[in-house]
Amino acid sequence: MSTLNQWNEQIEAMLERVQKAPRYTGGEMNSVVKPWESVALHYGFCFPDTYEVGMSHLGMKILYGLVNQEPDQVCERFFMPWTDMKALMEAEGVPLFSLESRMPLYAFDMIGFTLQYEMSYTNILAMLRLGKVTVRACERGRDEPVVVAGGPCAFNPEPLADFIDAFMIGDGEEVTLEVTAAVRDWKPTGEPRETLLKKLAGIRGVYVPSLYDVAYAEDGTVASIRPNAPEAPERVARCVVTDLNTAYYPRSFPVPYTEVVFDRIMLEIMRGCTRGCRFCQAGMIYRPVRERSLETLRSLARDLERATGYEEMSLSSLSSGDYSCLPELIRTLMRDLNKEHVGISLPSLRIDSVLKESLEETQKMRKTSLTFAPEAGTQRLRDVINKGVTEQDLMEKVTDAFMGGWSSVKLYFMIGLPTETYEDLDGIADLAQKVVRCYFAVPKDKRAKGLRVTVSASSFVPKPVTPFQWEGQDTQESLKAKQAYLREKLRAVKGVNFNYHTPELSYLEACFSRGDRRLGRVLEAAVDRGCILDGWSDLFNFETWMEAFRDAGLDPDWYAYRRCGQDELLPWEVVDSGIDRRFLWREYERAQQARTTRDCRQGCNGCGLNRWKGVCALADAGHV
Amino acid sequence: MRMLATFEKRERLRHIGHLDILRAMQRALRRSGLPAAYSQGFNPHILLTFASALSVGASGECEIMEVTLTEEVTPEAFLAAMNKALPPELPLTGARVLEDRHPAAMALVKAARYRIVPLEHMEQLAAALPGYLSQEEIQAERKTKSGVKPCDIRPLIYELEAREDGLHCLLALTETESCKPNMLMETLCAYAGVPVPRLRLIRVGLLGQDAQGQLVPLETL
Repeated sequence: MSTLNQWNEQIEAMLERVQKAPRYTGGEMNSVVKPWESVALHYGFCFPDTYEVGMSHLGMKILYGLVNQEPDQVCERFFMPWTDMKALMEAEGVPLFSLESRMPLYAFDMIGFTLQYEMSYTNILAMLRLGKVTVRACERGRDEPVVVAGGPCAFNPEPLADFIDAFMIGDGEEVTLEVTAAVRDWKPTGEPRETLLKKLAGIRGVYVPSLYDVAYAEDGTVASIRPNAPEAPERVARCVVTDLNTAYYPRSFPVPYTEVVFDRIMLEIMRGCTRGCRFCQAGMIYRPVRERSLETLRSLARDLERATGYEEMSLSSLSSGDYSCLPELIRTLMRDLNKEHVGISLPSLRIDSVLKESLEETQKMRKTSLTFAPEAGTQRLRDVINKGVTEQDLMEKVTDAFMGGWSSVKLYFMIGLPTETYEDLDGIADLAQKVVRCYFAVPKDKRAKGLRVTVSASSFVPKPVTPFQWEGQDTQESLKAKQAYLREKLRAVKGVNFNYHTPELSYLEACFSRGDRRLGRVLEAAVDRGCILDGWSDLFNFETWMEAFRDAGLDPDWYAYRRCGQDELLPWEVVDSGIDRRFLWREYERAQQARTTRDCRQGCNGCGLNRWKGVCALADAGHV
Repeated sequence: MRMLATFEKRERLRHIGHLDILRAMQRALRRSGLPAAYSQGFNPHILLTFASALSVGASGECEIMEVTLTEEVTPEAFLAAMNKALPPELPLTGARVLEDRHPAAMALVKAARYRIVPLEHMEQLAAALPGYLSQEEIQAERKTKSGVKPCDIRPLIYELEAREDGLHCLLALTETESCKPNMLMETLCAYAGVPVPRLRLIRVGLLGQDAQGQLVPLETL
């Protein structure tokens, strides 16, 4: 108990009064507690959402294990408290505390946020405030924590530039320890913060926004982003781990007591995707595709099963069906794990993966619902977005699934995609109808009872580092009309449920996804006005957000709806993702013509990654 | 073979509910590598039961579980393997082999010993005890699935005394007749004329009846 801090009694009393106290109690199996004074660097890993969401996140598990492996460092976890707990903490002056030792956020040498979702940005500011850490990076004192951030949204770091000392861009397995070591070594020297930041700027993948000046043109666009110190590179190249077999992967991770969103072993079988869907940021920023070997996975799976006791394992990646020897992997894992009673599930199953055999294998264990993501309702629109999937593919896979005993199918679509018309919406309804027919075409004695087809339509958000980064978002009015149209059309289809997202939320995502540094003012105003945990629909208040934009004197329509010019400097282009903007533009033009681009396993499409030698085997093999 | 084990649910975990602790224990069994038996059927689960569910908010000093194993294991080996697989806040404190004919632990529970630590009003409550206990009848409300039912808890309070470290009590706990600590506190506070304070609740142990009809620790039966 010696590590528990001075607020312990108050915290204990608060836990009696809040909903879901287990969010704050820690003490899970495999959580790591080191005596506070025994380490030279204290790293607070912050997930800017609730415990249930954060504990489902693979990146956290990797970094938690990675830092805690270092004998002179410790990594402890922080999550965004729910509103009831936050209010109590504020009322009693109890700072945001870590789950492990209950030390306050400000006592850590370095704190890191993972950026998974634009609408969690206000939680970052709220967590800093609650942790009594100065929110603006430029106002932080010498001995305050060094605040870093990484994750997919760091590919456009600009909206958070005012608050983050350094961004780590790309794969975190190697750069994290370089940064923690630099902070550890700098801490006792007494040298100013700036000295550390300049040193960090010299590490590949690290973007220190205070070392760059941004100028804006009269029309509001970015005129230039220039380094103001010699240590800062013109553009920050992202980190790429070239071999996942030698990269760090945890062999144990904390097992929550209460159920979290993904409560199972997550085995990352590969990173990256070769498909080149034009809306998909992950498909661009995680290039090239890198697989873990069967032997590595087998050893990881065994160790993780032993260390966690989980009864379910999911194979995770952007496109698990593309793993080069998936059936063999599944067979091997089932052989190893079967007697341990571990079920294996495959998320993000792509419909064109030849998986019949694998489907039958997984079905032996568990029959959850199957998810397919055609994304668009017509072949024309699927060609526009380069989703290389045909209706015939979908029908074959769905029929296989129904024959295999599944009766619950989820279909994911996007609305508001570039060039979309109402014909494409009709296509969504048609596909749903055809899936229902596939079910009834399977003889009654061969299919499972209780057909459930869930059609989910999210609203398209243009993302940085994609061919659609220049595109504006469809208007809220238009999206609402399309949702209403689809709702009406799908109401007529028996067995179909229709889900959709609120367009207001997607609109704000669009603002921040392609936003610039000036949006920092909006985030501050939004937090002042109480916008937190906006990913939770019951707490989301759109009108308050609009007031925050007015406070900051910025026009959200301009950010969300504007189509950018070909030669315009985009705010995030200070980051070099490795993907050439000329490739993205070429893809954007092909999209307008509904021309597809092949999977890059079939030959290099020249995305630009070949500039970095030894990174992409497909590019280096000279497939161009 | 069947193994009976005692465990602690320490204060830090008091907000974790019964089903979550049960699942944590099942996962610990899986981690331990011990030969736990599984149920048959479509969704096999480990054959593990707790003698009595411990409510959210309470910690436990001597909770009881029973597990079926497919191979012979000594209690010492069982304890060692489990404690390696359990977090520090959920340790096993003892184990013994049960004979096949031994009734299920769950069926033997007759009473539970608690320590209730009120964070306020301890003096008033202690002063009110003699009068409270001298009542012939104590009407309390029992919350059941079908609603709130009145019941007399006086005969269900076997022991109740105030000590330095809180109120110590022994209360009936069977399927048909039980007095929950909150029923005791609500009626005691009403009697003493104070609002129900925030409190810590610790279940000290579970008891069953020996051949002479005496209440004895369940794990010794």
